[in-house]
Amino acid sequence: MDFFLALPSLVVFVCMGFIPLALIATWSFWSFDPDTYWIKPVWSLASYAALLENGRATVLLRTAGLAALTATASTLLAVPAATVVGLLSGPRRATLLVALFTIPFFTSGLVRAFAWRLVLGREGIINNVLIRLGIAHTPVEWLLFSDFAVVLGMVAAYLPFAIIPMVLVFARIEHSVIWASQDLGAGFWMMFSSIVLPLIMPGIIAGFLFVFVVAVATSMEIQLLGGAGASSISIMINDVMRVVNFPLAFAIATVVVIFLIVLVIIANRMLKLSRLFEDLGA
Amino acid sequence: MTHNNCNNHSQGIQTRLTRRQLVQNTALGAGALAVGTLGLPCAARAANEINFWATGTLDIGDPGWDILKNESGVKVNFTDNGNDPGPVVAKLAAGNANDIYDVGGLQGGSEKELAKRDLIAPWDLSQIPNYTNLWQWAKDIPYLTYEGKIYGIPTVINADSIIALREKASSVDSYGVVFDPKLKGKTAMEDAWINSVTFTAIYLKNSENTKIAEPGNLTADELGLVMEFLIKHKKDGQFRTFWNGWEQGLQLIVNQEVWVMTGWEPIVYAARDRGVDCYYAVPKEGYEAWGNNTILLKGAVNRGLSKMAHQFANALLSGFYGCKLGTLRGYFVPTENNVAYATAHSAAFNPDKVKELGEHVKAKFAGKVYWQNTRPDNFQLYEQWWQRLRNA
Amino acid sequence: MTLDSMVTGRTNGGRQVFTAITALSLIIIYVPALYLLLVSLNPGEQLRLVVPIHYSLTWYVALLDDHRLFRALKESLFIGLATAVMATPIGLSAALAYRSMTRMRSIFLLVILSAVFVPGTIEGLGLSVMLRLVRVSPSWVTLTIGHLVWTLPFSVTVSLIGLSTVKPSTIEAARDLGASPLRAFVDVTLPLMRGSLISSFVFAFLLSLNEHARAYYLVGRQNTLPLHMFGAMNSGVSPTIYAFSGAVIVLSFAAVALILLGAAPQVRAIRRSAV
Repeated sequence: MDFFLALPSLVVFVCMGFIPLALIATWSFWSFDPDTYWIKPVWSLASYAALLENGRATVLLRTAGLAALTATASTLLAVPAATVVGLLSGPRRATLLVALFTIPFFTSGLVRAFAWRLVLGREGIINNVLIRLGIAHTPVEWLLFSDFAVVLGMVAAYLPFAIIPMVLVFARIEHSVIWASQDLGAGFWMMFSSIVLPLIMPGIIAGFLFVFVVAVATSMEIQLLGGAGASSISIMINDVMRVVNFPLAFAIATVVVIFLIVLVIIANRMLKLSRLFEDLGA
Repeated sequence: MTHNNCNNHSQGIQTRLTRRQLVQNTALGAGALAVGTLGLPCAARAANEINFWATGTLDIGDPGWDILKNESGVKVNFTDNGNDPGPVVAKLAAGNANDIYDVGGLQGGSEKELAKRDLIAPWDLSQIPNYTNLWQWAKDIPYLTYEGKIYGIPTVINADSIIALREKASSVDSYGVVFDPKLKGKTAMEDAWINSVTFTAIYLKNSENTKIAEPGNLTADELGLVMEFLIKHKKDGQFRTFWNGWEQGLQLIVNQEVWVMTGWEPIVYAARDRGVDCYYAVPKEGYEAWGNNTILLKGAVNRGLSKMAHQFANALLSGFYGCKLGTLRGYFVPTENNVAYATAHSAAFNPDKVKELGEHVKAKFAGKVYWQNTRPDNFQLYEQWWQRLRNA
Repeated sequence: MTLDSMVTGRTNGGRQVFTAITALSLIIIYVPALYLLLVSLNPGEQLRLVVPIHYSLTWYVALLDDHRLFRALKESLFIGLATAVMATPIGLSAALAYRSMTRMRSIFLLVILSAVFVPGTIEGLGLSVMLRLVRVSPSWVTLTIGHLVWTLPFSVTVSLIGLSTVKPSTIEAARDLGASPLRAFVDVTLPLMRGSLISSFVFAFLLSLNEHARAYYLVGRQNTLPLHMFGAMNSGVSPTIYAFSGAVIVLSFAAVALILLGAAPQVRAIRRSAV
């Protein structure tokens, strides 16, 4: 019975996820052929060696770091927001809030990221307000084309990814437990930290993971809002493909996948994530 | 002539494996490489439609393509290919572009490798009478030809320099302004080594007397010099940002986020339309020339659309397209047919304006001009240096 | 008596802080979207805020003529729906499988989740090579497949969360009353996890709607909406694409308002019966 349940997802994954991955990993060990500008089946580790040069490894770490920062910021904002939605609102307000959080995602992410350029720019509305209020005398330059702008743009774009899983988890919390704690004299923070937080942990982990995954893969916010020529994994892959060095592009992708899987495994060990989800699987 | 069985034609991926190599290699990888010999079934399609997969620069809008259809008999379905030669070549080489598109349009330089791998077909000039009216130096661009055959038809040509805001930088005449410390944090360049490295090389060669032979095709040492220069300025905070694509570039100037930047000429026209007084500099070091060219995809030939594709290419050079593109975007098709068409259809197009655009471009090319190329000899080295610039 | 009023009764401090942060989150999310909406009401070509006196629907009218955008929109909506329709049940089945597995479950989950770590451009390219090998020509089918791989991990996780909110005692009660496992699942579990099924569907739909890296290599002749947007931003765009974003926001608000107004009588009925 298990097998039939698992089959559809395995089919999707094996046929459409794993096989292309295997192809890519194989080709990453072949060499660039300068005669045809394509790949020749000559086994070589040159692509992987190239990863250690020109700061490519730095790009990988920086992208992961920015994604982690974005995921952390999103989680910190999402936990209170999800609590308001899941615990402190009636059904109508909860539905309204969830809808409000989701609606912007129906518009194009590219156009939204571009809008931040206009808002944060030297002549943008934020600088205008700051100058008019006398807080700044010249336009604040670091509002745009900086890591600040990138993280802000990514949080604004991906916050709903953190909120929704958390809101869903709130259905696990029995109201009777909350009432009991209040009867026993627990204040808001006590109730929140000892009852709510542990129960919604799976949602928090899921939310963090969702934002991290999407943030690591994106290139829009970094390209539009980052400093001069700021790089990310996707931007670097595109750069490399532009010079038809496909083995190197595939090597980058392979290393990224392995790196992220290792990260997840380490996080799993350290935070006992599987036990949380086992909780879900009970 | 609706359905075509293309199972006997090779397309796509490299087919030069010898039998021994085929046997030696993993089934998966070799199978994928050999797919070219298998041939693929293709979608049945109406016989008088051309699917034009090109950079948005070459687009004249659906109303424009309708008029082209009325004049030439060719119905054109335009799809934007994203303007970046990287994914375009990747989709042609490894992806499915040859299955769904017929004619391509992109920045020049990749014709040789696409021709070598049989992804594009040579144009038969006898079927393109308007080719003879192309400006000679456009026809002479070296990367359009491979093994004596013409693979790319020059469709749009321009010479680029610097966009400047008149009230902040009123008399720019040199690329040095982009690197001028007085304008620190107020300049920008395009996020593409294809353009920006060439501009910098042009500047260094002519104004700082650095030993550079061809700014569009740098040796490893020359490239090192140019890139160290750029890296130093980036670290100093000289550039507000690097821009990528029309809307970004236009907004940078219109919002006065930057005061000078290297860029495309039509941005100046668009900015003026929005009430911003900016101008296109005439730099003493010379311009950077580029061209977008039309290429004939092998898939079209296999589907029996070659004749129609040639009709289409001919139509692009016949005058209407040039007038329309010039009016719409300010880009120029290098043929004398534009003025002739405008004169004959003066209700639709102002012949004087068309002539003016032509003369303007001609004047730029009469001076110092250095060609841009997606494939300089050391193109992979360019990318490695650009990566270092990104991380600086 | 609602939970809300119970919690409020005690202390307002924590609740106020949380509400403030929620408001802040909404502001951050809405700044770009609202800015686009306001800017699109400026009839001039330049992207600039103007005073409300000058507001005009010029670009919205022009939007109606933008056939290419609507064709791309249609394609994206179709592919998004197809992806969501497939991802939701497959995600649910994977979540169910996870729950009944014992030893292999961690590896199973990791395997499913790892698909999402592959950079989109490379996944798209690899998938398109593989699909050519098996003679599948590029069309909405190939793209839906690519998006399915991308969205499935999200659907699985959301389904897992949903399943975990159904208490085993509720299922036991249903079984005790004579329901077969299937009936217990369909009549008890599914309705109780309705929220997460809807979320799974909407997640998959939205992820597909906004995805462009894989789409570039897998799409048929008709570009999807994100690809259209990228092309437009790269090569010259009239402000109609900003009007489009504004229109989406306004229409979404309208839809939500309608749904909530329509649901109001039902909610009132529930509250009345609960008291």
